[in-house]
Amino acid sequence: MKKGNTAVKLLGTSSLGMGLVILLFLASEQQVHRNNAFTRRYPPHPVIKQYDLDIGYNSYYIAGFDNDLLYLGNRTAPWHLLQIHLGTQDTTHIRMEPIDKELRYRSLQTKVLPPYFFVMDGTIPFILRGQTKDWKAHTWLEGHAYFTKALPIDSDRVFIRTISANTQKSTLGLIEKNDRFQIHLDTTLLETQIDGIFDVDGTMVLSKEGSTIGYVYYYRNQYMTMNLEMKNLTRKRTIDTVQTAQISPAEKNKRGQVTLKSPPLFINKSAYMSQNLLLIASDRLGKNESEKMLEKATIIDVYHYGKGTYEFSFYLYHIKEHKAREFAVHRGHLIALIDTQVSVYQTREPFFNEPLSNTIASDQK
Amino acid sequence: MKWNQKVRDLSVETVSLSFVVLFVYAATSKLWDFQQFRVQLGQSPILTAYADGVAWMVPGVEYLLALLLLFTRSRLVAFYGSFALMVMFTTYIVLVLHFSDYIPCSCGGVLEDLGWTEHIVFNLFFVILAVIAIVQLETPPTLKTSVS
Repeated sequence: MKKGNTAVKLLGTSSLGMGLVILLFLASEQQVHRNNAFTRRYPPHPVIKQYDLDIGYNSYYIAGFDNDLLYLGNRTAPWHLLQIHLGTQDTTHIRMEPIDKELRYRSLQTKVLPPYFFVMDGTIPFILRGQTKDWKAHTWLEGHAYFTKALPIDSDRVFIRTISANTQKSTLGLIEKNDRFQIHLDTTLLETQIDGIFDVDGTMVLSKEGSTIGYVYYYRNQYMTMNLEMKNLTRKRTIDTVQTAQISPAEKNKRGQVTLKSPPLFINKSAYMSQNLLLIASDRLGKNESEKMLEKATIIDVYHYGKGTYEFSFYLYHIKEHKAREFAVHRGHLIALIDTQVSVYQTREPFFNEPLSNTIASDQK
Repeated sequence: MKWNQKVRDLSVETVSLSFVVLFVYAATSKLWDFQQFRVQLGQSPILTAYADGVAWMVPGVEYLLALLLLFTRSRLVAFYGSFALMVMFTTYIVLVLHFSDYIPCSCGGVLEDLGWTEHIVFNLFFVILAVIAIVQLETPPTLKTSVS
């Protein structure tokens, strides 16, 4: 009788204890993944450093990839490309050539999207396109539309950001060339909070494998994804809590220029999309994070953009107090440009190998 | 009987003392480097969202139980509490090992060197100790018990 009683009490106590912990676990899972409680999770070693390669200049930017080859464009030598084999670390210097020798330009940007490469200047404006087998850039688009940002998404389409003539605000659009050019702008995509120019600034991203393009706002905790036709828009929030851009644009000066009165609060400093993941660089601290860490590393938050969930975070370490100014993920590698170095990391399973959730969207004609 | 009684008392005494040592040590080492402890809890995949509350609660409960274990009157309740706490720790470890997204770095102090599996064994050992003590205390001393 007494013995039985004790057993019942013990059983009750233990199931109460277990139940409590399990409940806590389920609730925590829920909150961390979906409720935007600004708390990061750092699993051990989702990326492992493989090597740093000195490329001599800090003016390089990531132009694109072709299998194991990384292409870096150079801001101060715009017709020069550096090709790096990620496995062997072999480097090759490439000289691109415009067919039009008289070409005038102000600020060129190169993107490599094999088998093509694009050379773009939104201030003239023009877009040149050529093949990576001979690196000769032919005129693809001339005039038509000025743009402030551009990201080629396939051989005939470029995702752009421009100022709409109607609204005088930033707007996203698509330049398409079939038998003739079509420029399609959608002014509803970027949502104005302050002035429609500064506050909607952000990063354009593309996942070729996921047939998805996206836009990540700099100054608010929001990003959007669309298919390659700019349809199926979904808006998602990041783990950060700042919903409204905290910037203060001053009045226009005599030359019609607008500047910011105080430094803006960056929420999403830069972003990169790969497979079904969206990676966002942030230097905002969450709960239980030490400020000292920001002196040593940049925080990268990883989201599953299809599900809209936050997955995990990791540190991208500085090299001699220099921050990573740009990063990208490609085929098992994470690449970061830091000062005059290229840092190459290996991305590790199971963090980076989840199969695509929405099977490669049916072919676009 | 007299002898049995003595053994019984001694074993209960020993068990409660080892629990007191365990709890006082565990709680003190947590408070010693509280900031570190809270950060670690925050990075634990299960407690992320509750790190603040849990960080104070765990050492608090450990001290309380240690105190209650020292007095004969409150000992039985304290043993039930210790039993529940150890079961909770064990459940936590099992959940971390099998159901969470990743496994965080483990505890502080001497237990730092324990792997997670050893940790479960360690915990279960204390769970069993608590059960023994509870059974002893729940069995009225006047009753003749045959040792099986």
